[in-house]
Amino acid sequence: MFKNYLKIAFRQLLRNKTFSVINILGLAIGMSAFMLLALWVHNELSYDRYHSKKERIYELWNKSIWSGKLECWNVTPVVAAPTLRQHFPEIEAVTHVDWPNERFLSVGDKKLSARGNMVDPEFLSMFDFPLISGNINTVFKDPHSILLTPELAEKIFGHEDPVGKVIRIDNEYGVTVTGLINTPPNNTRFQFEYLMPWSLHEELNGQDNNWGNNSTHTYVLLKEHASIDNLQVKVKDLRRNYARDSDPYDMFLYPMERWRLYSSFKDGVESGGKIELVTLFGIVAGFILLIACINFMNLSTARSEKRAKEVGIRKTVGAMRSSLVKQFLGETTLLAFISFVLAIIIVQISMPAYNELCMKRLFVPYSSPVFWVLCIAFILLTGLLAGFYPAFYLSSFNPVGVLKGTFRKVGALVTPRKVLVVLQFVFAIVLITSTIIVRQQIRYVSERQVGYNKDRLVYHFLSKDLDKNYHALRQEIIAADLATSVTKTSSPLTEGWSDSWGFVWEGKDPNDKTDFDRFCADEHIVKTAGLQLLSGRDFDLQQFPTDSDAIIINESAAKAMGFKDPVGKIVKDGDVPLHVIGVIRDFILNSPYHPTKPIIIEGARGWFNVVNIRLNPQVSNLAPLEAIFKKYNPEFPCNLYYVDEQYARKFDDMNRMATLATLFASLTIFISCLGLFGLSAYMAENRIKEIGVRRVLGASVMNITSMLSVGFLRLVFIAFIVAAPLAWWLTGSWLKDFPYHIALRWWFFALAGILATLIALFTVSFQALKAARSNPVKSLRTE
Amino acid sequence: MIKVNQLEKVYRTEEIETVALNNISFDIREGEFVAIMGPSGCGKSTLLNIIGLLDDMDGGSFMFNGVDVSKFNERKRAEMRKHNIGFVFQSFNLIDELTVYENVELPLIYTGVSSSERKRIVDEVLDKIQIAHRRNHYPQQLSGGQQQRVAVARAVVNKPKLILADEPTGNLDSRNGSEVMQLLTDLNEQGTTIVMVTHSEHDSRYTHRIINMLDGQIVTQNIRL
Repeated sequence: MFKNYLKIAFRQLLRNKTFSVINILGLAIGMSAFMLLALWVHNELSYDRYHSKKERIYELWNKSIWSGKLECWNVTPVVAAPTLRQHFPEIEAVTHVDWPNERFLSVGDKKLSARGNMVDPEFLSMFDFPLISGNINTVFKDPHSILLTPELAEKIFGHEDPVGKVIRIDNEYGVTVTGLINTPPNNTRFQFEYLMPWSLHEELNGQDNNWGNNSTHTYVLLKEHASIDNLQVKVKDLRRNYARDSDPYDMFLYPMERWRLYSSFKDGVESGGKIELVTLFGIVAGFILLIACINFMNLSTARSEKRAKEVGIRKTVGAMRSSLVKQFLGETTLLAFISFVLAIIIVQISMPAYNELCMKRLFVPYSSPVFWVLCIAFILLTGLLAGFYPAFYLSSFNPVGVLKGTFRKVGALVTPRKVLVVLQFVFAIVLITSTIIVRQQIRYVSERQVGYNKDRLVYHFLSKDLDKNYHALRQEIIAADLATSVTKTSSPLTEGWSDSWGFVWEGKDPNDKTDFDRFCADEHIVKTAGLQLLSGRDFDLQQFPTDSDAIIINESAAKAMGFKDPVGKIVKDGDVPLHVIGVIRDFILNSPYHPTKPIIIEGARGWFNVVNIRLNPQVSNLAPLEAIFKKYNPEFPCNLYYVDEQYARKFDDMNRMATLATLFASLTIFISCLGLFGLSAYMAENRIKEIGVRRVLGASVMNITSMLSVGFLRLVFIAFIVAAPLAWWLTGSWLKDFPYHIALRWWFFALAGILATLIALFTVSFQALKAARSNPVKSLRTE
Repeated sequence: MIKVNQLEKVYRTEEIETVALNNISFDIREGEFVAIMGPSGCGKSTLLNIIGLLDDMDGGSFMFNGVDVSKFNERKRAEMRKHNIGFVFQSFNLIDELTVYENVELPLIYTGVSSSERKRIVDEVLDKIQIAHRRNHYPQQLSGGQQQRVAVARAVVNKPKLILADEPTGNLDSRNGSEVMQLLTDLNEQGTTIVMVTHSEHDSRYTHRIINMLDGQIVTQNIRL
């Protein structure tokens, strides 16, 4: 019997080529979109889930009130790790992990930068990053040691054994390769090319016992059977008990399984996090697949008259309804299988571009048996989802009616088919609206006044050599007419690296915990950055040597301090008195999506990491500038960054989201239209006699085309009525996450509705026009 | 074989109620060849569909082979149908996607006959109705007469006790029509009971008895000598 079903199914596919292509293509696109999204979702859900001790691993977090809000953050004092290790018997191991640092590695003439961390030896036993060579107990015994991933080792040493070889780091100190460590998989937060021991960090920076200096991450492994609840009670008072002079923040241990998806806190409790995006992607994936399945349901039921005769005959010769249901479900499963094969090809082809878009290293796990089991389940599920309605619908036909040819369904006001088309277009319109709104939000934020002139402004990070030779470097750049102005700053103009609520000024409320961004610049910052001075002046150490203790504040800072005439006022940073010499207009230092914060720019007494260069308008080539950097910094490559490019990177995430929204909206509308195309073809075919009669009676092609199209457009209109408030609610909730956002305007929704209508009209009218232009004599003869 | 007593069938729409069969009673004995005749709309096809267990009845009783089938549900009716009844239609009703062989094989699939046994039976039937040379053709590649012969082959392949033919020659020219009638007569002579709805006086001459209907009622029953 199965063979018979298969035979019929294949012959049906070949006989109805248009139907088959529409169904297979629609389903394949839907499946491939589902698979790509599912790979992303799986990757997110699997983050750091592979560590064998994951149930016992925690990260140390702080909790405290900042600017009136209860905030949580995971940057902790260096001294917390040894304190936990020494005083908490429930803890098996503790490790520091510093910020992932790009360091410059050199061996002879071989020079390259690589990203890695400094960690305690316990790191290697806490997490599952197995060593390929080297002894786990001794690889970090010497502070001047390094573990390399095989890829980095090959880049530096080729095929030579790297163990025992010395690498020079940042042209400052040497380390010996003590082993090779497996490259971290793409689903872990720890992404390193090398690891060095924390003891080296201490040797370079000294022991840091300052509880007020939050500068590293601290990870903890609990002993087996230790009670986390009891430990949490003790950890909460860690600062109060061991750092009496520090701010009395609460501390807590945050479990590994929550790190990736839930670590977004609001008012001290978990609130949303990446899980929201994962859920959203999961829903979108499910809907795209559902839309593709809806096409199948619609086209199959629309073709019911063609298959009614077969159902009648089969029933007459003894087929039970159940065997017909099985037959039709078998057909959809076969179709799902063919679509799946096509979908795998599409996924494979689009994977590199998709990975670039998601910034991930996703791959199809062909060698995993679980993957294939899931694929079979997926094919069966899709087959069932797409086939259950047509199967039950077609098998319900009464053989008497269909065999006598009297079977013809009268168009009901609400049919499942119409409901399904409406559902498809609701989803499509919601996605189109979301795309419009995401793009509008990006445009709105990117057009926001940044507060300085980011054009023709470049920067370079300061190395030891550059810092030492800064004045000579600056002189030479100016003398060569390459720049109009040069200044050092604590961080690039696009990033704030320091903030504090510890500033004190006359009349400050002792309970005021306003957080200020702290930025440092040596001189001519207003001129170099193109900041807008509202009152006072720029730093000028030549004329005013005391400017090293001066500050320039922005208007938000002046407002926060309650200064009407800020110039000349004294503001203390800790114990150091600083005098205000200028007020500038607010500028965006961090997120362009948030309101500008109060900023204090400290003068030359500050610390510096970046040199900023305002290029001379005539300079079109950076080579001469690079040559000067090379001269003063011979051991390192010259890496000049354009500020406008770095600023644009703040929109990368949002642009990625917009691209994804556009992609999925386009796919949804494409699949929906594919279905609409097929559906309109069958509708036109079913009404061929009516069209013939109307033509004979004098109806124009236009009359017929509009008659056939209007029914579909009515469905799109109903979809719009449902989709608009839904999209309003969804996008409104999304925009609330951005303090600086657009207002929702009626035309966003109208535009989405018009777009959907036009696309649907184009799709449907193609078939309608074809039917309307057919010769009425021929169409009447078909009856 | 068939005992129908006070059979009623009413078609209802929102506005009108049409009595298709009104208190019909008759018997058909095993081995009989019966024609049901009457003008269009008199209820003869409705009667045939009820006898064939394709349609429900609204009143009366219907005994098939001594079993009361009037209260059978769809599943039981399908079971009874596939083992006992073969159908021949005016418009042949072959499945376009299946070849001659596969169309004839279809009832055997639903009765669970093994593949090798099916092949033997189908080959035998195709030979018997002299269409074996067209076994791999699709219905559209055959003439009307040939299609109806395939339909007859499909109707008899399960060796049913009863064949119901609804105007079997209605779409055929006289030569092909006569061939099909001869085929049915041969089957009847081999013991198969046949009930045939027809408009054709010529075809009715092949039968033993003619039931004449008008407006849902039996008006006369003529036994042919």
